[in-house]
Order: sequence, then structure tokens, then C-alpha cells
Amino acid sequence: MDHMISVVKVRQVLMVTMPPDPDDTTVTALQEKVLGAMERYSAKGVVLDISAVETFDSFFARTVSETAQMVTLMGGRTVIAGMRPAVAVTATQIGLTLGNIETALTTERALDLAAAEPARRKVR
Amino acid sequence: MTTSTTTELVIQAESDIVAARRTVREAAVRLGFGITDVTRIVTAASELARNIFKYAGEGVMRWRYLEAGGRSGIEIQFVDHGPGIEDVNRALEEGYSTGGGLGMGLPGARRLMDELDIQSTVGQGTTVTLRKWRRS
Repeated sequence: MDHMISVVKVRQVLMVTMPPDPDDTTVTALQEKVLGAMERYSAKGVVLDISAVETFDSFFARTVSETAQMVTLMGGRTVIAGMRPAVAVTATQIGLTLGNIETALTTERALDLAAAEPARRKVR
Repeated sequence: MTTSTTTELVIQAESDIVAARRTVREAAVRLGFGITDVTRIVTAASELARNIFKYAGEGVMRWRYLEAGGRSGIEIQFVDHGPGIEDVNRALEEGYSTGGGLGMGLPGARRLMDELDIQSTVGQGTTVTLRKWRRS
């Protein structure tokens, strides 16, 4: 079922799109797909498009946050894009925090964020 | 309180977690819940269906419509004959997990629903009942 996740390289970033209602096997496959593609394409970061996702439960949240940590270890940034309002309300209510993963309303903004060099961010 | 006929779904494979979400979504939409409440109900059901699969191996999800005092709602019950929960109060604490998870399943479901009731006997099984009422 992991073919339901699509990974496309845009600029130097991986655009990862999740299907609306992925089963646990598909969610688990996310990690391997993303890390494999990071290495293969020497990507700078990952945009995880969850705009189609209707249910974001604790298993899904844990997998996403672990994957983002691994991407960080590989020198990349992860930006989550397009969380639906009802999903955001639900995730907040049950206290699902995504750690320090960045988020963006649109995939376009997420792409800009993910492509930016973390080391070149201004520190003042 | 009047209720509709009860509908059942057997949970015994990982794909049944998806089936549980779909069933509950359809039922909640049909009852006229708004999109945010539908998402809350489906998310809670997803956590409990996964608990059955993960801890008990198999079980049943039952749901029915409720009517009481001029309001309507949905009741979803998760029944298994698995190992049971040793300490129900602790299981409802955030961050407590015996299965290597985040420990957010039960406490999360409780926050998303109006009512959550757990009956559990070690060695015999667990029944979790969820209720959500429609805001009128």
C-alpha cells in the first residue's frame, strides 16, 4: 500500500504527499521512503503535504515526528503543509505536539522554508 | 433514551482500523455532526480500534445512534477479550503506555468525546464506551 505515498523532488526538496486515510503500514512506510529519498537525491529538506489527510491520530503523529527527527539528523528540514482546520483542532485538543517541526499553510510556502539553508538563518 | 439498532464491525487485522474509521465517519456524517466533531469522533475511534488490534489482537466495534431529552448522539463501543487493563486510572493518564506508544490514545479519546467509560478485568478483557452528543 506504500505506493499511496508520493515522493517527488522539487527544486532541492522532497515533496511528500500523504493519502487521505492511510493504514498503519502506509504510515510506517513513510519513514523508509523519506529517508531513502533524502539520501538518493541529496535533498535539503522535506515538505510533508497532509492537506488530504482526514484523521491524524497519535500513531500518525509519532511517525511524522520521528521521521522529522531523522531528517534533521541527515541535515535536512521538515515542513508540514496544509493541515486541515478540523485536523488542527483535533490534534491540539488531544495534545499532539509535533515537537519543533515547522508548519506552513500552503505547500508553496513550505517549499520555500524547506529549501532555505538552516545554517544561513540569521542569528542575532 | 431510545436507540437505533446496533451495528458491528470485527477488528482483527490492521486494515480493520481503517475500516473502523470509515464506518464511524459515515455514521457521524449521517447523524449530522459538523466536520470538526466528525474528525474528533473518527480520531477517537481510530485510537481505540488500534488499541484492540495492538493489545487484544481482536475484538468488536459496535455503534448505534442515541436519542435522549431532545438531543441526538452516537455511541461507539469497543469490546475485546484481551489481557485487560491493570490500572484503568493510570491508562487514562497522559504519557502512560505499556505498549511503547505515546500514551495518548485513551486520554486523547476522552478529551475528544463527551463521555468515555472503561470496564476492564485483567485476564478477561476490556470494554470502552464512547459517546458524543450533537450540539443543537
